[in-house]
Amino acid sequence: MNRRLRILLVLPLYGGSLPVGRFCAAALTRLGHTVETVESPEFQPTYLALRGLKVAQDKLEHLQNSYLQVVAQAVVAKAETFAPDLVLAMAQAPLSRQALRRLRALGIPTAMWFVEDFRLFTYWQAFAPLYDIFAVIQKEPFPAELASIGQANVLYLPLAADPDFHAPRELDPAGRKRWGSDLSFMGAGYPNRRVAFRQLLHFDFKIWGSEWDGDPVLAPYVQEGGRRVSSDECVNIFNAARINLNLHSSVDPARLVSGGDFVNPRTFELASCGAFQLVDERSLLDESFTQDEIARFSSLEELKDRIASFLSRPDERRDMAGRARARVLAEHTYDHRMQRLLDFCAERLEGWPRQRAAGPSPEDALPEDLRAQLAALRERLGLAGDVGFDDLVWAVRSQQGRLGPLDTAVLFLDEWRKQYGLGG
Amino acid sequence: MPENERFLVIQLARFGDLVQTKRLVLSLMRRGEVHICLDRSLARVASLVFPRAVLHPLRAHAAGLAPGEGAATAAADNLPALAELSALGFSEIYNLNFSGLNYALARLFDPARVRGYMSFDGQKTRDAWAGMAFRWTRRRGACGINLVDLWAHHAAAPVPPAEVNPAATPKGGGVGVVLAGRNQRRSLPPEVLGPVAAALWSMRGRGQLLLLGAAGEREAGEAVLAHLPKVARGAARNLAGRTSWEDLAEVVGSLDALVTPDTGTMHLAAHLGTPVAATFLSSAWAWETGPYGAGHTVWQAVRECAPCVESRPCDLDVACLAPFASQDFLRLLTGRGAGPLPGLLGLTTVFDPLGADCRPLPGVGGVDPHASGRAGFRAFLSRHLGLAQDAAPSPAFSGGEFLEERDWLSAPDRNRPQTTAT
Repeated sequence: MNRRLRILLVLPLYGGSLPVGRFCAAALTRLGHTVETVESPEFQPTYLALRGLKVAQDKLEHLQNSYLQVVAQAVVAKAETFAPDLVLAMAQAPLSRQALRRLRALGIPTAMWFVEDFRLFTYWQAFAPLYDIFAVIQKEPFPAELASIGQANVLYLPLAADPDFHAPRELDPAGRKRWGSDLSFMGAGYPNRRVAFRQLLHFDFKIWGSEWDGDPVLAPYVQEGGRRVSSDECVNIFNAARINLNLHSSVDPARLVSGGDFVNPRTFELASCGAFQLVDERSLLDESFTQDEIARFSSLEELKDRIASFLSRPDERRDMAGRARARVLAEHTYDHRMQRLLDFCAERLEGWPRQRAAGPSPEDALPEDLRAQLAALRERLGLAGDVGFDDLVWAVRSQQGRLGPLDTAVLFLDEWRKQYGLGG
Repeated sequence: MPENERFLVIQLARFGDLVQTKRLVLSLMRRGEVHICLDRSLARVASLVFPRAVLHPLRAHAAGLAPGEGAATAAADNLPALAELSALGFSEIYNLNFSGLNYALARLFDPARVRGYMSFDGQKTRDAWAGMAFRWTRRRGACGINLVDLWAHHAAAPVPPAEVNPAATPKGGGVGVVLAGRNQRRSLPPEVLGPVAAALWSMRGRGQLLLLGAAGEREAGEAVLAHLPKVARGAARNLAGRTSWEDLAEVVGSLDALVTPDTGTMHLAAHLGTPVAATFLSSAWAWETGPYGAGHTVWQAVRECAPCVESRPCDLDVACLAPFASQDFLRLLTGRGAGPLPGLLGLTTVFDPLGADCRPLPGVGGVDPHASGRAGFRAFLSRHLGLAQDAAPSPAFSGGEFLEERDWLSAPDRNRPQTTAT
């Protein structure tokens, strides 16, 4: 799939798939596609404000459902205006079943990247068949279960990293002091982590992230009051730690190492940063990394041993981290994932992407100096030189605030074409 | 208010629309310098109508451009004009036309300064006043105001309507006849227009009879001549295609009367105070686009279907034309007949605090079937605009259908003065 596409990317109102969605948008843009993003988080304050009303439960639920329907209608309206080749929704994107049916009726293909654990987040049963493509981070039995409810276009699409963002970073001494430690963990305080980490307190250990409240034993190790850490700060932490502990979450405190299947985004992000990590064994981890690239553990005892062992072997840590980063760059970037998703769409969706009506471009007849100015405008907007006039117009129109004369001239030319045609 | 306050009026429509922008332009001129952005084909006539305004012509109309070269020519020609507009700081921008070209132009400016039609970061929208006008056009019979006033009320406190144009006064130069409007269905065909023109010419003293129009209407002028009585034909001259803008203004400004459908030349006559005798039928509606000034006459066809939508085909074979072809109408024009006539209102133009209105001519005009509803609508709008704040609301016309929650719940209406109690 090498054609330049129009893609409408629908972010969730909140949650873990939100940053993943932003990385997808960046990747699709790098691949040369015109990407329009539905900024769903901007709708969340109103949703939360409804919760602050303190009204009867049934009334609140009605209001919340009604509001989400409005947001879903907004997405459909956006799709109708933008006329994308694909609507790509991230998990928890505000697309109601009614909205998905409407998009299907409009002939606008939809795909979801379901970056959730299907065993915990079971709502997929309600909407998965309404998408044309359903990308997942788990293998069987999930695809079979999806097929059984009518979703046959299932793509295994593991998570990834954005090497432009998740990159090696040199920290100054103050930065290393603030963000660094022998052992570091960045993530939320799930029950299995709380229990496991109590056994690691003899190390120089820093715990970053939120939702660690109420644990007096771990509290001294939780950094900066357990505040939320930004994605950019995560890169500092990853780069500053000698060993990054990556323990997949579980709500079951009895199973400290859950032995699950999917690989979390942190695995790819740490690798992309060139940071050394110890990750709990996952059944799908070998699909992405070899034992030489990422060190694993299968039990708490093994973890403790390997921490002690790797702390004394900096060269081995460096070499493994380097190999992991190379693997990410070669196979596990969001660019790779998005390309794979689009290729899969082309394989599975008949006649996709639909040919757009090809006609003469209004630019064809422009004087040479004006064409040169439009080439410079494409560059300023971060568009490839061969992006068509329609996509140029969309990019110009999507800019914020006042436009300059040349940008306005582009919009004026587009409207002229609509009003009079190119023959006029 | 800074002395050098500067305003921009974007009027990209036709000749008549440009002239109808006059009340707004005069209102803004009281506050500062007024610039007008318009199609370049109208620059000369604009300089005649608005000699004190700064003009910014650009290519907004495709007419006159070689096939296939229009878009490129427009883009190349317009860029310097856009750069000039962008460099000037305007206090307010009045973007008057609901068209994609206007929306594109609006992106040059801070949307908070734009009235009418604007675009917020690519989202096209319109202000509350323009939105309300769209709602009342669903009930065109009773609801609607003169376009001159619609545009003028985009600004706060426009000049009084009577100060816009001189009252209609015969000038002694005979009768002019406008051959056709842009929309054929709204114009009288030559076999009807000829006798009507002759009747008015006879009533007005049998001076000159001048046929006016563009070069493309010269043939229509010959057809009208053929339908004139011999005595009138001798006094007639077909000037179609023979007048520059300056000539046209001079001729129209010298006439005793101008017979015309709803045209730009009609608005030019109103601008000059030349009495208009207008024939309105089909989609033309005197209360929307009638001549602006006191003492003009409009003969308005009224049927159940009036006013119609010009772009939709007429299933009634333009039955609203019939009254204009009747002998009774010709007798009425010559002062020898009696009114009212079926299917036809004779109207005279008047003013109220809101702006221009049309009322039946005493005795012969007939009964306006929408008079009551229109009075209620105008009273509602006057109150809404703060022109009649002491008047009691009409129990028969609350205007609720024209008010939308989002107009007052989401953001202040910049067209209305804010009177927050303290």
